[in-house]
Amino acid sequence: MTGVVKFLHRQFVVPFSEMMKTFQHNYAQDGGYFPRIRGVLTQIARFQEIKYGDHVGTDELGNKFYENNRFFVGRNRWVDYNQETWADKWDYNASQITPEWHRWLHYMTDDPPTKVPPKQRPFLIKHKRNMTGTNDCYVPYSTTRPKIESWKPPN
Amino acid sequence: MALCNVYKLSSYLTRKSIDLVGSTRAIVTSSSCLSYKLVNPKQDVPSLRNIVDTNANAVFGTELLRGLGMVVAKTFSEPATINYPFEKGPLSPRFRGEHALRRYPSGEERCIACKLCEAICPAQAITIEAEEREDGSRRTTRYDIDMTKCIFCGLCQEACPVDAIVEGPNFEYSTETHEELLYNKEKLLENGDRWETEIAANIEADYLYR
Repeated sequence: MTGVVKFLHRQFVVPFSEMMKTFQHNYAQDGGYFPRIRGVLTQIARFQEIKYGDHVGTDELGNKFYENNRFFVGRNRWVDYNQETWADKWDYNASQITPEWHRWLHYMTDDPPTKVPPKQRPFLIKHKRNMTGTNDCYVPYSTTRPKIESWKPPN
Repeated sequence: MALCNVYKLSSYLTRKSIDLVGSTRAIVTSSSCLSYKLVNPKQDVPSLRNIVDTNANAVFGTELLRGLGMVVAKTFSEPATINYPFEKGPLSPRFRGEHALRRYPSGEERCIACKLCEAICPAQAITIEAEEREDGSRRTTRYDIDMTKCIFCGLCQEACPVDAIVEGPNFEYSTETHEELLYNKEKLLENGDRWETEIAANIEADYLYR
């Protein structure tokens, strides 16, 4: 009898509760009925799927990191890129993850920087995304003095 | 269809005759016949019942329905791929990605311009020029890496006596133009300052093997 109950629970109750958790996780935070649908639709448009997980932390650029070990390794940790502004929401880049969280997101360690804070150095600078294709992109230049000087006419 | 069944019958008879030869082993000295294994599914005996079944399956297109069932099952199962810019695959702490020049905890740059990395680089991607600094220490004035020549073998970081040049964990530095990949010393030092927390943690994770 308990086997039958367990089977029915697994077949009908668990999928429904998973679906409800997924929807609750993904709706927009500003309340009401329509924003819930809007949040889920935004999530599908950005992420191509909806899933739920524990919020592990947020990095200094505003990217949120989630974990849910129901999924297999490679899919159980993910990032929700910063979506404060409309441009940020749709113009995300894989290189905008900060190094501390990069290490956790790539499974090099199981300890997120919220649990094991990284060592701070005075020379560390703020992380920046890959700026190629913009005006701020890197342009190479020589770091040495020129070896020859051009001749200047005496008069 | 009739031709097909004639073919089936003939192949069945041939198989039977091979079995016969294999089982006697009177003349053949090698055991080749016995050591062969049939990997194809065994064909049924071409009785009337089996032939009718086969033809009925062909006429009603049950393969199509079975294929459709497979498509539906795969549609609702968990995908085996990862959703890249949001989910990322596992990397090793020893991963050899974008180069960086590191600093000592005091902020002093590590590189002493010994040029071992330049000498060992099999692709000759590194160019170094050195001069004496105002305080008398030997430092580089030029440290250029042509990232389009680099083959990411990691010999430079193995050759370095002071852990100055390392290949960091970053692989998302693709550019639109060639010149953006001609790194100079400032760019490499900036990479080091940006990625130092992760580089230091990765080196620490590998301490047993260094």
